[in-house]
Amino acid sequence: MSATAILFGVFALLLLIGSPITLALGAASLAAFFYIGQDLSTLVTIAFNSVNSFPIMALPAFVLAGSLMDCAGVSKRLIRVAEAMVGKINGGLAITTTLACVFFGAISGSGPATTAAVGMLMIPAMIKRGYDKGYAASTTATSGGIGIIIPPSIPMVIYGVTAQESITKMFIAGVIPGLLIAAGLIIVHMIRCRNKDYSSDMEPLSIKKLYKAIREGFWAILAPVIILGGIYTGIFTPTEAAIVAIFYILFIGTLVYREITIKGLLKSLETTSWLTGRVLLIMFTAFAFGRLLVQYRIPDLIAQAMLNFSTDVHVIWGLVVLFLLFIGMFMETLAIIMIVTPVLLPVMTHLGVDPIHFGTILVCCCGVGFSTPPLGENMFIASGIADVTLEEISYKALPFCGITIGAIALMVIFPDIVLWLPRVMGY
Amino acid sequence: MHAHKILYLLDNLEKYICQALLGFFAVVLFAQISLRALFSIVLPWSEEISRFAFVWFVFLGASYASRLSAHNRVTLQFKLFRSEAVGKCCMLLSDLIWVFFNIVMIKESFKVIGNLKAFSFHSPALGWNMAYVYYIFPISFTLMTIRILQVNYIKFFLKQEIVDVDKVNPEDYKQMAEELSDSGRT
Repeated sequence: MSATAILFGVFALLLLIGSPITLALGAASLAAFFYIGQDLSTLVTIAFNSVNSFPIMALPAFVLAGSLMDCAGVSKRLIRVAEAMVGKINGGLAITTTLACVFFGAISGSGPATTAAVGMLMIPAMIKRGYDKGYAASTTATSGGIGIIIPPSIPMVIYGVTAQESITKMFIAGVIPGLLIAAGLIIVHMIRCRNKDYSSDMEPLSIKKLYKAIREGFWAILAPVIILGGIYTGIFTPTEAAIVAIFYILFIGTLVYREITIKGLLKSLETTSWLTGRVLLIMFTAFAFGRLLVQYRIPDLIAQAMLNFSTDVHVIWGLVVLFLLFIGMFMETLAIIMIVTPVLLPVMTHLGVDPIHFGTILVCCCGVGFSTPPLGENMFIASGIADVTLEEISYKALPFCGITIGAIALMVIFPDIVLWLPRVMGY
Repeated sequence: MHAHKILYLLDNLEKYICQALLGFFAVVLFAQISLRALFSIVLPWSEEISRFAFVWFVFLGASYASRLSAHNRVTLQFKLFRSEAVGKCCMLLSDLIWVFFNIVMIKESFKVIGNLKAFSFHSPALGWNMAYVYYIFPISFTLMTIRILQVNYIKFFLKQEIVDVDKVNPEDYKQMAEELSDSGRT
């Protein structure tokens, strides 16, 4: 029996008996280290080195900023701006929902948080205008996935750290894919709602109303401007930008909007604590696991097997995307990124794929995973709000997932959709 | 009454420490950024101390997540079985393996701490002995073990449900939605 067999065997067995993902990775590495006679205290050093890094501190900072936005009253003002931007067209409210998710994604880095904040407002509004319940819920669940593609994005932070790529570059690369998927969803809404009487009592687009919404939401809109502007101009690193965002949101939450409470602040700190602890414990064990993979040249073996199957990079991309969509149905997003990156990234770079290109596609596939059953975090939230079954949402979400996968295929075939913007911005 | 309060504090111990550490490193980093941007003052120690606070925050947060039973598991395969007992037994077994893993980690971290003390490694900016920074590992893996046992005790002996923290409660967003629909539309 080889060390590789032990590594994968223990990992698969533990996952099967329902152990936490972090333990499955950790115990598998421990067993493999023990088998090859490596000093087990290496694990402790790995535990320290995996989190003793400045870039990863962006993770809790962005989680905290996103959580504070809700209790500071920033979120709802952004949604109102999105509302004012859409006039009397087919599927107007569904389009508003998609736009609101894009805006929201520009501050929050999380899919489920985007779905909850936007859905709580937009789903009841859509149902009131006569939209089908399942349609309203699936609209929000699929649009919520855009939240992790539009920067800043927590999965991109995790990818940047795991792959040792620039997080800033990932944040720039995500802009066009995010907008492309949003545009795709909007077109589907316009087609699917064209003969329905959903928008007869909607107000036409008015500059006055838009101006009013922007003026009221001015300080809220400034939040993403500060975060992204600061990162893109190179004034802040992503971690620093997130820290600045926290204090900016605290500032407008207490002095301008006066909606933030001590209770809300403590609650945000609490959520950030367990979320970060959970994710970065996986980071530690995934690091140990990844080190063994490299030591035993597993990525090389996989690359070789794939090349024996086909030498066409598009065919291999197709297999990789299908695989990512498949595990996205079962596993949590950040865990997928931490497990898949050390295995597949070397394979893809071996085939001449740019790491930023691969990372963006990976994150987009995870975005689809939010709204595919059985484990689709966004669907759970949307079904709770709209009071419809998961089966109905997943069925109604199929066209939206289809168009998103279509957009992913475009990005695979034309890498410049992802790589053009980072290049012209000089990264 | 007093004992009750102490127990409550102990039950939430990691939460309080984590909140304090998170607040601490956020403030230190913000101070560092502001001083640099406004007065061009560079603090030599601020990044290191916030990184160490962060490491402690992460591993105490991991223990807090164990108390909340929040560590992600793949549980879909248990739906193949009619009875819930299969899943419960499997997860109990996995928790015992977890306790074993933690005990190995505790033992190994004391070994590393011993080495760091013997060779007296110091951090570059603060000059702290790294052994003290590494004390987080025996502490957090011990706490995590206690929390795993505590959660199983609550599940199997007290027969209480552990709330799923990942479930977003739509009620939390209700007030926000109401405010928006009241004031926004005319």
